[in-house]
Amino acid sequence: MKNKSVIPFVAVAAALITWAYHAVFGRWPMMPAAASAEAAFVDSAWNGLFAIETAIYGLVVGFILYCLVAFRAKSRDEQGDASDRSRGRLVEAGWILASTILTLALAAFGAKELRAVVGGTHADHDVEVRASQFSWEIYYPKYNQYGSKLFLEEGKRHRIILTSKDVVHSFWVPEFRLKQDAVPGKVIHLMLTPTVKGEYTLLCSELCGADHTTMTSLVEVLDHEAFEEQMKAEF
Amino acid sequence: MTNLLAALASGIAVFALGTFALGRVLGPQPAAVLSYLVALLVYLGVLGGWKALVSWTRGEEPAEEHGWRRYFNFDVDHKVVGVQYIAATLLVFLVGGLMALIMRLELARHGLQYLTHVEYNTVMTLHGISMTVVALIAIVGGIGNFVVPLQVGARDMAFPRMNALSFWLLPPAVLLLLATPFAGGLDFGWTAYAPLSTRGTALGKLFFLLAFLSVGFSSIFGGVNFLATVLTMRAKGMGWTRVPIFTWSVIAASIISLMGTSVVASSLVMVVFDRILHTTFFDPALGGSALLYQHLFWYYSHPAVYIMILPAFGAILEVIPVFARKPLFAYPIAAVSLLAITALSFIVWAHHMFTSGMWGVLKIPFMVNTELISVPTGVVFLAVLGTLWRSKMRLDAPMVWALAMVLNFLVGGLTGIPLADAPTDLHLHDTWFVVAHFHFTIMGGAVFGFMTAFHHWYPKITGRKLDDALAKIQCALMFVGFNAVFIPLFWLGTHGMRRRVADFPEWMDPVQTFASSATLIVAASVVVFLYNIIRSLKTGEVAGDNPWEAKTLEWKAPSPPPHGNFKTPPAVTEEPYGYGVRA
Repeated sequence: MKNKSVIPFVAVAAALITWAYHAVFGRWPMMPAAASAEAAFVDSAWNGLFAIETAIYGLVVGFILYCLVAFRAKSRDEQGDASDRSRGRLVEAGWILASTILTLALAAFGAKELRAVVGGTHADHDVEVRASQFSWEIYYPKYNQYGSKLFLEEGKRHRIILTSKDVVHSFWVPEFRLKQDAVPGKVIHLMLTPTVKGEYTLLCSELCGADHTTMTSLVEVLDHEAFEEQMKAEF
Repeated sequence: MTNLLAALASGIAVFALGTFALGRVLGPQPAAVLSYLVALLVYLGVLGGWKALVSWTRGEEPAEEHGWRRYFNFDVDHKVVGVQYIAATLLVFLVGGLMALIMRLELARHGLQYLTHVEYNTVMTLHGISMTVVALIAIVGGIGNFVVPLQVGARDMAFPRMNALSFWLLPPAVLLLLATPFAGGLDFGWTAYAPLSTRGTALGKLFFLLAFLSVGFSSIFGGVNFLATVLTMRAKGMGWTRVPIFTWSVIAASIISLMGTSVVASSLVMVVFDRILHTTFFDPALGGSALLYQHLFWYYSHPAVYIMILPAFGAILEVIPVFARKPLFAYPIAAVSLLAITALSFIVWAHHMFTSGMWGVLKIPFMVNTELISVPTGVVFLAVLGTLWRSKMRLDAPMVWALAMVLNFLVGGLTGIPLADAPTDLHLHDTWFVVAHFHFTIMGGAVFGFMTAFHHWYPKITGRKLDDALAKIQCALMFVGFNAVFIPLFWLGTHGMRRRVADFPEWMDPVQTFASSATLIVAASVVVFLYNIIRSLKTGEVAGDNPWEAKTLEWKAPSPPPHGNFKTPPAVTEEPYGYGVRA
C-alpha cells in the first residue's frame, strides 16, 4: 500500500467505527429517559461530547489499523523511515494548536451548559431534604409536612435544601441528571425542575457507611392539583 | 529467608502485644498506633536495617549477598529491589484480583447472595487500595528500580539503603490491609472520606490508615531516590536531550511522589489524630470541615493517578520505537509533555468535587485545567502515531502489548472528558461510568503498560525470553476480557448504577451477569501469564545482551547485569532512538 491511500483508508475506517457506535447506542441509548428541564442541558452537553469523541476514536483507531497493514517489517533487517521525524515540526505544531483549540472550545461549551443547568435562584417551591445514615427525610416548610417520599410538582422550579446529619451523602435521581452532595455542617441548594409526571428513585450516591446500598427513597412528580392535594393529606 | 520470617514474627508480636497491653491504659486506637511505630522499627531492625544504618555511619559500602536468599533480605542492589517490587506487585495484584472475582460473583445477580453489605464494602475497599498500590509500584517501583539506573548508565541508585527501605515498608502495609476484615471491616472505600473515616472505634479503619501512610512514605523515599539518581548519576555524554523517555516519565512521576504524597500523608495523619487524639479537623459536628479533607485528599490523589500512568506512557514510548525501527517521533516535546502533565496535575484536583458543594464558580477553572491535560496527553498519542508512520513494525509481544495499551487508554482518556465537563459530570459522578473510566486508564493503561514493560525488559532481568506466542495469547485474552467486563459498565453507570453498592435493580441482571462471566477471561489471561513466567525461568530461550536490538544503555550491560551493572562506565555518544539513522 502506498502512503497516499492513508486518507481514504482512515476516513472509511473512522466512518465505519463511528457509525457502529452510533448504531449500538441508538439501539440502547446511553442515557435513560430524561425527566427534568436541567436534563435537557446535560444531555445536549453529553451528545456534543459523544459525537466528537467517537469521531476522534474512529480516526485514531483507523490510523493505527492503517499502519498495521501498511508498515509491517518483512524481514528483521528492515529499518523505518528515520527522516520522517525531522519533517514533523509542522505536524507537531498543528496537532498542539488544534487540540488546544478543541479543548478550549469544549470547555467553553461546558461552561455555557453548566450555567444553563444551574440557572437562577428563583424557586416556586422550597423542599428540605435531610440525609442521615441510611435514610432520607423530606420536609415541606410551606405545608409543614414531613415524610420519606419526595413529592414534586410538574413544571415547577424547586429549591432542594440539602443537609446532612452525620456524614457525606449525595442526592441523585438519574432521570433528573442532577447530583448534589449533602455535606454535614453545610446547607446546599439544588435547583430542580421536573417535567414529566411519574415515579422515580432517589439514590444516595456517596458511600456513607455499611448500609449505603439501601439508602434509597421514592420520588413522585405530580401535576398541580394532585400535588396540592398530597400536601394537604395525611403523610 | 529465616531473617525475613524472624523480622515479620517479631514485628507482629510487638504490634499485637503492644496493642493489647497498652490498650488497657491508653485505649485500643492510640495503643495500636504507638505499637505499630515500635513494631515497624523492630521489624526493620531484625531484617537488617540497623546493620545497614551502622555500616553507613562508618562510611562502609553496603554488605554484599549472593544467591536467591538476597531477595528475602534487606538488600541494597537496585536490581534486587526492582525484582522484589515486581514480585510484590504480582502478589498484591493476585490478592486484588481475587477481591475483584469475589465482587463480580456477588454482582452477577441482583440481591445479596454471598456477602453482607459490610463484607462487600470491605472487599471493595481492599480491592481498591491493593490495586492502587499495584498501580503505584508496578512500573516505577519494579521496572523503574531495575531499569532506570541501567538506562542512565549508573552503578546503582543514589541512596541504595533508602531504596531497600522503600520496598520493605510495603509488606507491613499489606499485612495490615489483610488484617482489616478481622478487625471490624471497612465501610469507607479507598478514599476514606471524612467524617465517615474519623467516626467509630473499629481498629480496621485505623489499620487501613496506617497501611496507606506506610505506602505513602515508601513512595516519597522512592521519588527522592529516583530524582537524585537521574540528576547526579547520568553517564558521561547523557545531556537532557539524550535521556530516554522512560527515564523522563519516572522523573515526572517522582516529582509527583515527592510533592503530592506528603500532602496526603499529612491529611491521613490528621484523620488519625481525629481518631486517637480527638482533634476535630474534619468532623463538622465538632467544628471541623468535611470538604477540607476532600481538598487535601484529591490534591494528592489526582496527581497520584499520573504516578500510575506517566511511567506507563514512558514504557510504551520506549518500546514502540524499538519495534517500529524508527526514532521516537516528537521526542523532545513528548518529554516536555510528560512534565506539563505533571505541572497541570496539581491544579485539577477539584474535578473530583463538582458535586461536593464547594463554591460553584470554582467549577469553571477546574474544568478548563482538567480538559487542558488532554493537550499534553494528545502529544503522547502524536508521538505514538508519528512513530508508527512509515515504520517497519516488528510485532513481537512487547509491541502488541503497547498497541493494546494505546487502544485501551484511548477509551480511558476520551471517557474522561465527560467527567471533566462539569454539566455531564453532575450526572456521571460517583456512578459506574467513573468506575469503567478509571479501569480503562488504570487497568487498560497502567497494567497494560506494566505488561508492555515487563515483556520488554524481562530478558534483561532474567537473561531469558518469555514465550512470544503465550504472551500474545495472554494479551488477547486480557484485552478481550477486560473490554467485555468494562464497556457494559459505562452503560450501567449512566442508567443508575451507583459506585460502591452491593445490590441493584433486577432489570440490570443480564448485563451484570455478562460482565461477571467476562471476568473469567481476564482470570484465564493471568493464569497464562504466570505459566509463561514459570516456564521461561526453566526453559526460556536465552536472550543475550540485546535481544530486541535496542539502543538505550541498559542493553549494553550483560543479561542479567552483574553487581555494579557495567564492566566499564558507559559513555553516551548518540541519541537514544537513532534507529535507521546512518552514522
